[in-house]
Amino acid sequence: MPQPVKFILNWGRRYSLWVMNFGLACCAIELIATSTSKHDFIRLGVIPFAHGPRQADMLVVAGTLTDKMAPALKRVYDQIPDPKYVISFGSCSNCGGPYWDSYSVTKGVDQIVPVDVYVPGCPPRPEALLHGIIKLQEKIAKEDIREKWSGKLTQPAITN
Amino acid sequence: MASSRSQLSPTDIADRLRAQLGNDVLTSGDVHGHAVVTLAPARLQEAAGLLRDDPDLSFDFFDFLTAVDFTPKGRGFEVVIHLYSTRHNHHVRLKVECDADDPHCPTLSELWPGANWFEREAWELFGIVFDGHQHLVKLVLPEQFEGHPLRKDFVLMSREAKPWPGAVEGEEIEE
Repeated sequence: MPQPVKFILNWGRRYSLWVMNFGLACCAIELIATSTSKHDFIRLGVIPFAHGPRQADMLVVAGTLTDKMAPALKRVYDQIPDPKYVISFGSCSNCGGPYWDSYSVTKGVDQIVPVDVYVPGCPPRPEALLHGIIKLQEKIAKEDIREKWSGKLTQPAITN
Repeated sequence: MASSRSQLSPTDIADRLRAQLGNDVLTSGDVHGHAVVTLAPARLQEAAGLLRDDPDLSFDFFDFLTAVDFTPKGRGFEVVIHLYSTRHNHHVRLKVECDADDPHCPTLSELWPGANWFEREAWELFGIVFDGHQHLVKLVLPEQFEGHPLRKDFVLMSREAKPWPGAVEGEEIEE
């Protein structure tokens, strides 16, 4: 694909990310705060919030994912049409966080779905999510569209 | 009727149980203004019936049920039941000792429907069987989960890989 066409397509996609809110714990409050007037991620082109996964472009997993909840996350992710992106927001969804030794908490959502950007913190401030969104947009800008739209990149790291 | 709405003291509550059950009230005490009574398991349902139906006691609200694993201390499990009277504004905490190897406890779900889920939860997390419970199936754990995670001997795989870095409960911190 010619470089200018690729640039324009990626430019269009990076500034229109309709976000799916997968809020599971206190991190969801920060995610919602990022969508409200003070931090206002709509100025970065992130649209709050998709009414369902089938409308979404991006999934933000904010909070503690348990093993019992994991199938629901997988299902929501699978329902999002390609191309799709995942931000893992907060220590719990990154690696289990304070529940690293728990019997019930999934130690990282990247065991269930592929993650594009990890935002550390417990919980991260809204500014951290804005930074994560900018990092994701930088990633989208460099993408090869044919590869991304093929769906091959969205195969989960581990399936059962 | 002002007299029928009076609060009973923890001692009065224990005395009323003792009048009915005699020596099957093993211990009784007053913790932060709540009566705490240890009962013989065989007579738990009888005691609970008295607490619910006696107009002066009238414990109409089943507040919570949980258990404590005392097996590392050489005892069994202890089921803790907290009852409250919305009529008289008094509390009682019932404790029942269970066997360490095969813990059983009579159900109270026939008396208070609210006990149903608490008992299911204690059953799956501690492995205590509530005799007479009509629907003892998993409530909060995933279906394929094996073991009773709130037991002290439950193995946490993450801690097998990396031991707990802080002080263990009851141990002195080495300086």
